[in-house]
Amino acid sequence: MRLFGHTLFLFCVSLLNSTVMPAQTPFTDVTVEAGIAHQFSVYEGTFGGGATVFDLNNDGFEDLFITSGTTEDVLYLNNGDGTFQNIYDTSGLAVTRDYVTQGAVSADVNKDGWRDLFITTINTTDGSQIIPRAKNLLFLNNGDMTFKDVTGAYKLDEFNSFSTGPSFGDVNADGYPDLYVGNYFLEFEGTLGVLKDATIVSANQTAKGYLLINEKGNYFENDYEAYGLHHRGFGFGALFTDFDNDGDQDLLVNQDFGYKAVPNFLYENQYPKRSFIDISKAMAMDLKENAMGSAVGDYDNNGLLDYYVTNIKFNLLMDNQGRGKPFIDRAKELGAYSFAISWGANFADFDHDMDLDLYVSNGDLNPNCTPMGNFYYENTDATFTEKGRIVGVNDYGIGRGSVVFDMENDGDLDILVVNQKPVRDYPVGSTTRLLRNDAPKGNWLKVALKGIEAETNGIGSRVKVVVGATQMIREIDGGGSSHLSQSSVIAHFGLGKATKADSVIVTWIGGKKQILLDQNANQLLTLPELEDKKLNIWMVVPILLLGGLMIGYFVLKGRKRNRAPSRF
Amino acid sequence: MKKIFPAAFSYLLPFALVFISGCNSVQKKDFTEQDVALEWAKMTLYITQYTPANSPTFASRGFGYIGLTMYEAVVNGYDPYQSMAGQLNGLENLPKPVPEKSYHWPLSLNAAQASILKNIYLQTSDENKMSIDSLERVIKNYFSDKLNDDARVVRSIAYGKAVAEAVFEWSKTDDGHRGYLNNFDKQAEYPDRPGSWQPPLFAQSFSHYPLHPHWGKNRTFLKQNSELPMPQMIPYDTLPDSPYYMEFLKVYEKDMALTPEEKEAAIWWGDDPDVTFTPPGHSYYLATMAIEKANPPLIKCAEVYAKTGMATADAFINCWKWKYHFFSERPNTFIPQYIDKEWESFWPDPPFPAFPSGHAIQAAAAATVLEDSFGKSFHFTDKAHEGRERDEVRDTDFVIRSFDSFWEAAQETADSRFYGGIHTPLDNKVGLEEGTKIARNIIALHWEKEDQL
Repeated sequence: MRLFGHTLFLFCVSLLNSTVMPAQTPFTDVTVEAGIAHQFSVYEGTFGGGATVFDLNNDGFEDLFITSGTTEDVLYLNNGDGTFQNIYDTSGLAVTRDYVTQGAVSADVNKDGWRDLFITTINTTDGSQIIPRAKNLLFLNNGDMTFKDVTGAYKLDEFNSFSTGPSFGDVNADGYPDLYVGNYFLEFEGTLGVLKDATIVSANQTAKGYLLINEKGNYFENDYEAYGLHHRGFGFGALFTDFDNDGDQDLLVNQDFGYKAVPNFLYENQYPKRSFIDISKAMAMDLKENAMGSAVGDYDNNGLLDYYVTNIKFNLLMDNQGRGKPFIDRAKELGAYSFAISWGANFADFDHDMDLDLYVSNGDLNPNCTPMGNFYYENTDATFTEKGRIVGVNDYGIGRGSVVFDMENDGDLDILVVNQKPVRDYPVGSTTRLLRNDAPKGNWLKVALKGIEAETNGIGSRVKVVVGATQMIREIDGGGSSHLSQSSVIAHFGLGKATKADSVIVTWIGGKKQILLDQNANQLLTLPELEDKKLNIWMVVPILLLGGLMIGYFVLKGRKRNRAPSRF
Repeated sequence: MKKIFPAAFSYLLPFALVFISGCNSVQKKDFTEQDVALEWAKMTLYITQYTPANSPTFASRGFGYIGLTMYEAVVNGYDPYQSMAGQLNGLENLPKPVPEKSYHWPLSLNAAQASILKNIYLQTSDENKMSIDSLERVIKNYFSDKLNDDARVVRSIAYGKAVAEAVFEWSKTDDGHRGYLNNFDKQAEYPDRPGSWQPPLFAQSFSHYPLHPHWGKNRTFLKQNSELPMPQMIPYDTLPDSPYYMEFLKVYEKDMALTPEEKEAAIWWGDDPDVTFTPPGHSYYLATMAIEKANPPLIKCAEVYAKTGMATADAFINCWKWKYHFFSERPNTFIPQYIDKEWESFWPDPPFPAFPSGHAIQAAAAATVLEDSFGKSFHFTDKAHEGRERDEVRDTDFVIRSFDSFWEAAQETADSRFYGGIHTPLDNKVGLEEGTKIARNIIALHWEKEDQL
């Protein structure tokens, strides 16, 4: 694609440079030495894939599951020494070989303390189907580095879908993680027998998503309509996020072909009522783009979560203006605006200077592919400068999902980007890359939540760290941030020169707060949820009585005042 | 869209079906002969619009066979008009009525249209097929009751069906039959040279493959139309003073200065196959409008539909032959590379090469037919998209359009692709020229017996 001629030229220059002198860049490509050997193979077209970061054996080192499309997926166990080993063969996940996998997310579905795995698919791999559709897959973690396929037991086998991005969240704040699944083409119920022409021609119509409510860890129920979700589009998944800081998880939905089918949506959670309302238009989030994914982060540390939405050509940085005020796209103005086809995106403080930088994964549309380098937008005073080449992350593979996590527990965030196999000739390699962050000089703090009533890893909750006048917020990622992927659930903060965080404030899903003061830098803080104290009835009754009396007094007083004639 | 389907729509409602079949007295009071033709044209447009995965190419083919079938179902009752059998590409024979027997031609037309529509649109939904059956039943009951001659009714219907089946059998060998199953050829190799078509980034379709790459090899209705010489394309050049560059610069400059009226034209003629009756459907619609206004005899109505349908069908075949021969780029490929990196067309790119314009070629073909039938000066108001929801993406309303001639409408159709930023002036100019030639060949067929003298 000659549209990218300029980019290609830059790429050639950089290739030349790298052969002449080995570059000392803040990020180092450690894919090979880490033992990562992965490439996503497309079914057809451009769909997939993604990765989920999860500590599958609770050893404190985060592991990786990466989808491979038509070929065998990988499950990389983190050895803790900077290397990984693929334990897929012994993991009990072998059934994924039968499916064209797309995205993956992980959460503790049944609250047994182990991270379970949900994988979206678009087809079976046996070539038996004219119209690509398949069920998505759910695996429970047995706790011994093996998994059990519970797709049927959790009532997920009835959805014969073309699913893209999954995400875990907790919409009803019951501690059992729920799922949103984006669907691209309409679902077919049951199996497809003899195909009529009418069925074939209707195959590429728009689809509803799924809102799968986790029923106390026993099974999932699709409550999409019951919760007031209504759209049908070319869905790329959604992100559970509390955009309005009211303690519940709202939903930001990404749609491809928003200018043609339906646009993006922002649904406001009406918790404790079991419903969402569509506020996309009022909040100017009804983006009519090719929205592929989104990253969430408060890039300007003003306490309001902002969203970077990836797109074809130019991405959008939707700046949160506060409750009730429409978002404003400031990508161009702030410099996070470069020509590409973007998919994954991750806000992270890669350089530990107390603001969120932005990594963006780019890739052309198979089968017609021209290389385009990935972006790294460094945040300086809430403006961005693209430094992909300088920092060593401008890989030219056909990028899709990307995740950030601390691979070797050294306190900074590393990057994994899933790359597709080029269908046709391609001038450079395009395999999944692991980029180790060797950059930051500043201090850091990591916060891992241990939910008791909340989801085990705190999915749906948020962490705020205050250092002097700076406050930084992170949401625990349940997936859907980036593209078809899920980053680490451990909240990460750069602290700059500060040796302490003045306060660490956790807002658990549902609104309960927990505060720690004066926490040392450069540590992983593991924060168990405080159990609600059982209220003593003999304490409660007098308080209620007193409260009732006071309310009565003020009501009476107010009535009297209302009855007084106006002086004006 | 509702405005154009007043009667057809009522047949779609289940309760209306019950009502109609259960109680004949609530049918439309009177069907004139022309009404029968018009109702079927409107039903054809409805099916074209509401069948998923339709394309301008496949739709144009449908109008060709459906229009021809309408003509052939009645032509033997209207001397001096004569059949197209023996005049079209490989269509040697069609069933003939039994001499000395009398036929009710609107009943033949009715049966023939229902049959061909269901066969060409094999892939339409069961609900749509029920709508077709329902319209057929209503019209059949209306005329049968009036005739009170069962033998004649049965004979007329059988004849209509026989004609439709013969046309359908012939249609199967044109390489476009069930073409919706092969909208995109994922195995085909396409040229990759400077100036060649690239999959759109601002796209109408999620496919990154070009639509119907082999459509240009399909059999044309008229042999002469497949023998038209290849039009000329200017050579690729990126120098700013080159003719090639200037073509794209004109698109860019126009796009930067679009007036509200030009934006209205751009969206009006968009005729996106996913949500409308497609561009050739717009032409069939204009034929319908002209017939409604001029109210010619039934045979003339059928002739207009046959000519319009076949002319636009042949226009698409030739257009696709040339599109894939030149495999030329769209402004969305050239302009961001050489003129303005951030530029994006007003209207999204369709998934096929540019030269020449499909909109222009088929609009010219239809306008040439309609001018020949109704005269060069013909005032009409196009309400095809009246009442459609405002296009929010482009901040533009669907505004009905009035014209003093069919050519004026064709010219605006072509211009609208230039305003939309998806065709150069050259794409349009050549499209209009070639569409005219194609239609003239269709008009030159021996429609009436004295034509042969």
